[in-house]
Amino acid sequence: MKKLLIFIFAISIAFYFSLTVFILPDAYLSNEQLIPKPNFQASLSTEEITLGDSFRLDIISQNVGDYGDIHILSTAFPTLETLDGVVDIVTYDFSQTPHYVDIEDEVGSNYSGGLESTFAKYPSIESMNRPDQPNSTYHLSLKITPEHSGVFSIYVKSIIIPHTSEFSHYPITGKLDHQNEFVEVFSVRVNP
Amino acid sequence: MTTSKIFQNPVSLSKNIFVVGSILASFGILLVTVGGSWDITNHLLNKPETFFSPPHALMYVGVAISLIGTVISFFGWKNSKELKNFFSIPLKIKLIGIFMLTGAGPFDFFWHSNFGLDGLLSPPHITLIFGMLFCGLGGAIGISRFLSTCSFKNKLPNFLNVLAILPVWLSASGIISSLSLPFSNTDFFEFNPEPLTAYVIASLGFPFLIAFSFMSLFKLGKHQFGLFSVMGGLFLLINGSTAIIPNFAIGDSILFYSMNFIPFVISDIVLRLSKSKITLFSIGGLLGSIFYMIYYPYIMYTFNEVLLGKLVSPSLIYFVYFEIIQEVILFTIGPAILMGILGVIFSDFFSKKVLPNNVRSIQ
Repeated sequence: MKKLLIFIFAISIAFYFSLTVFILPDAYLSNEQLIPKPNFQASLSTEEITLGDSFRLDIISQNVGDYGDIHILSTAFPTLETLDGVVDIVTYDFSQTPHYVDIEDEVGSNYSGGLESTFAKYPSIESMNRPDQPNSTYHLSLKITPEHSGVFSIYVKSIIIPHTSEFSHYPITGKLDHQNEFVEVFSVRVNP
Repeated sequence: MTTSKIFQNPVSLSKNIFVVGSILASFGILLVTVGGSWDITNHLLNKPETFFSPPHALMYVGVAISLIGTVISFFGWKNSKELKNFFSIPLKIKLIGIFMLTGAGPFDFFWHSNFGLDGLLSPPHITLIFGMLFCGLGGAIGISRFLSTCSFKNKLPNFLNVLAILPVWLSASGIISSLSLPFSNTDFFEFNPEPLTAYVIASLGFPFLIAFSFMSLFKLGKHQFGLFSVMGGLFLLINGSTAIIPNFAIGDSILFYSMNFIPFVISDIVLRLSKSKITLFSIGGLLGSIFYMIYYPYIMYTFNEVLLGKLVSPSLIYFVYFEIIQEVILFTIGPAILMGILGVIFSDFFSKKVLPNNVRSIQ
């Protein structure tokens, strides 16, 4: 009886530990990581306005890849010091409330997800959705009323966390912003 | 009035009322722990921005049921002349627990309103978890003491001890998790535990707790065959459905997680064949050594802080978990076995306190 007991105990434990510590972990680690892919289409209501008038920026942001944890659409305003009275959100269907970034706020950089950081040089709005299902689509529309004449620029980029490859952000080339991340630039000429 | 005299008395109405209250109190705490585990997952995946969320609703339904159970227990205790001494300790513990639990609700709402989203370890949360522990403990002692004073024709009522011990195990797990998981930094406070301290707390606390819980159940449940499988299975079911299934990216790891049922079945079979001290210590050591597997997936965050320091978003959990599993087992298996054995020793003290000697000798 004692020998039978020791035998059952030893065999079962060996089976359990080999399965949970060696065999199954190797099998799971051989699975490919999910690769979410952000994308967006943005359109301006006009490319030229008179000072005092407003224009709209409509953005459709998508995940065209695998499941992701956090979808971030960033719209930044390099010619502004504050968003107050200039930028208003008209349409917004992301799951998280918009996060407003002010100048000198600490922000992540180099697509590090927060492990590396820098300080914001201009204000921006981060629209977030979590989690991020494949083929999901979100909308952001901004009404913008510039206070000065000249060229009014808007930087737009999208990132999905986990950032596992260059496909985890959009655009993948172009101008680098204050976070050392690629942005697409949209400009409107504001006439006096 | 001695407990032996209690034994000779027929089951009184007030005693039944008391145990119904204890069962409700324990069941309520079980709901709170399920809601709590679901809430951690909800925060990790969805980052809710309001206090009013489905997991919070489940938790406060659990608190309400526990409150009702404690009130019922109080009236059962008040009307039972002979049993007052015997049931006064579990009632007092329950009252302390329910006081903390009901106070934690408004405290938590106040905290959310003033400091926004709070982390896992915060003053209202720790009040809530200790309230759960006390209330669960009072319910457990009440149920076990009731069962010890009754003789049943079949052995099914012994399984009520699972409902008694499981909420205590889950509540105590909540305390260890709060002190070891790096989920507590917010915009206002940095309550995350120091990584190495967290590593030690998890490596020693969880193995002790698992062995202690199962061996207490074994002793209070009159060595009933199947207790380990039922309680272990319920724990896996609760953790699997609140922490694994809701996370789309790690859903397929449920196969790995279900393998953890094996040690509980082994324990049941081995203890059916032998109940010697060596066997009890061996089972305690075994249960202690599996802590990293049964607390999958979130325990990975504690060990990642020390071993890798990676930023782990929810969909990458199992890649990091399985990357470090062999290293964690290598470093922790020795202390975990020792803590499992210590859990067996402490469960003996505990069960003797819950069921005093004169009751045990009558059994």
